[in-house]
Amino acid sequence: MKARKRERRRYAKPGGETYVFRLFVVGNESNSTQARGNLARLCEEHLKGRCQIETVDVLKDAATARKNNVLVTPTLILIRPFPKVTVIGNLSDTRQVLAALRLIGDER
Amino acid sequence: MSHRKRPVHRPKIRMKEAEALVRALETHQVDGIVGERHIMVCRLKEVEEKLEHSRDQVRALAASLQSMRENEKALIAREIHDEFGQTLTCLQLGLSWMAGKVDPQQQPVLEKIRSLSALVTAMIRSVQRFAHELRPGVLNELGLVKTLKSEAWEFEGRTGIPCKVKTNIGKARFDHVGSVALFRIAQAALTNVARHAQASRAMVSLLKKKHMLILTVLDDGKGITKEMVHSHRSIGIIGMRERALALDGTLTFSGSKGKGTTMTVRVPLSRVLIGQESVSS
Repeated sequence: MKARKRERRRYAKPGGETYVFRLFVVGNESNSTQARGNLARLCEEHLKGRCQIETVDVLKDAATARKNNVLVTPTLILIRPFPKVTVIGNLSDTRQVLAALRLIGDER
Repeated sequence: MSHRKRPVHRPKIRMKEAEALVRALETHQVDGIVGERHIMVCRLKEVEEKLEHSRDQVRALAASLQSMRENEKALIAREIHDEFGQTLTCLQLGLSWMAGKVDPQQQPVLEKIRSLSALVTAMIRSVQRFAHELRPGVLNELGLVKTLKSEAWEFEGRTGIPCKVKTNIGKARFDHVGSVALFRIAQAALTNVARHAQASRAMVSLLKKKHMLILTVLDDGKGITKEMVHSHRSIGIIGMRERALALDGTLTFSGSKGKGTTMTVRVPLSRVLIGQESVSS
């Protein structure tokens, strides 16, 4: 029963639900700043604002980063909808990021 | 009560994540590393960019200084040639006129005039040599290949070291800045051969290979070490490298102790060639 539920969650279509992101950055370094901007733009253009972004500055909160297995910044983690996705980098390659977040088909 | 050591945090990395991490590192998209106890902020890209920018500025400055030096040399050469050359020629003519007017009975006066005339001739030659060293006239008139041949011939006469010139370039016309730079590099390399190599033979080659122009100066002397090539004291080599870089080219040295030295400059042909070329062996 539990296994079937997990299976259903795995293939659940995102539909109109809110996307919950956790973005790990380091201060105002160039890639971190770019990642912030790119994620905000992506939410605006592709999710019509249906997203919730929690930004974690690893200089202030390294424990959360370690807990989430974050090795480098910037790292974006899609918390919801399931399954969890991790994207590393400044999110400048929009197509790749959208494919990773299952917002478009992966054309690779 | 025992003091337990904190367990080391070992993050779990999957293959896909590792690939993404490598890609991000390769494309300079990482600015922080989360370590066990510290956060490392990476500014490699910025530092590299600043360093490259600073190098570009230094190179531009060096190229500009070289160009200014060449212009100044040209000006001095022209002044020496025109002013001193003409005055000395007038002096020579005057002495010849005096020699014609002096009574043949007055042998001591004639002897003095002749010795003065010989002195003036020697001075004219010196002035011509200085002017040539400052700005080789043949470079403008005859082109790079013939100037290199002339330089090799002069080098042979000056040092007694036989120096051959090999080329597969016919009547190609090179851009003035490029010609001057390549000539000066060859000149500096030959000076190094004369000063340090203790060589018994030398060779200069200027060859066209695909899209590159390759200038080589080699000798059979005592060789050069890597330390000497990269030493900040090797001002001549630094100048040669800067001249090559200004033409988007490279300068390399090869050879080892006792096996001679080969200096090679590779420059894109498009950077120096301006006229139609005809290849001859």
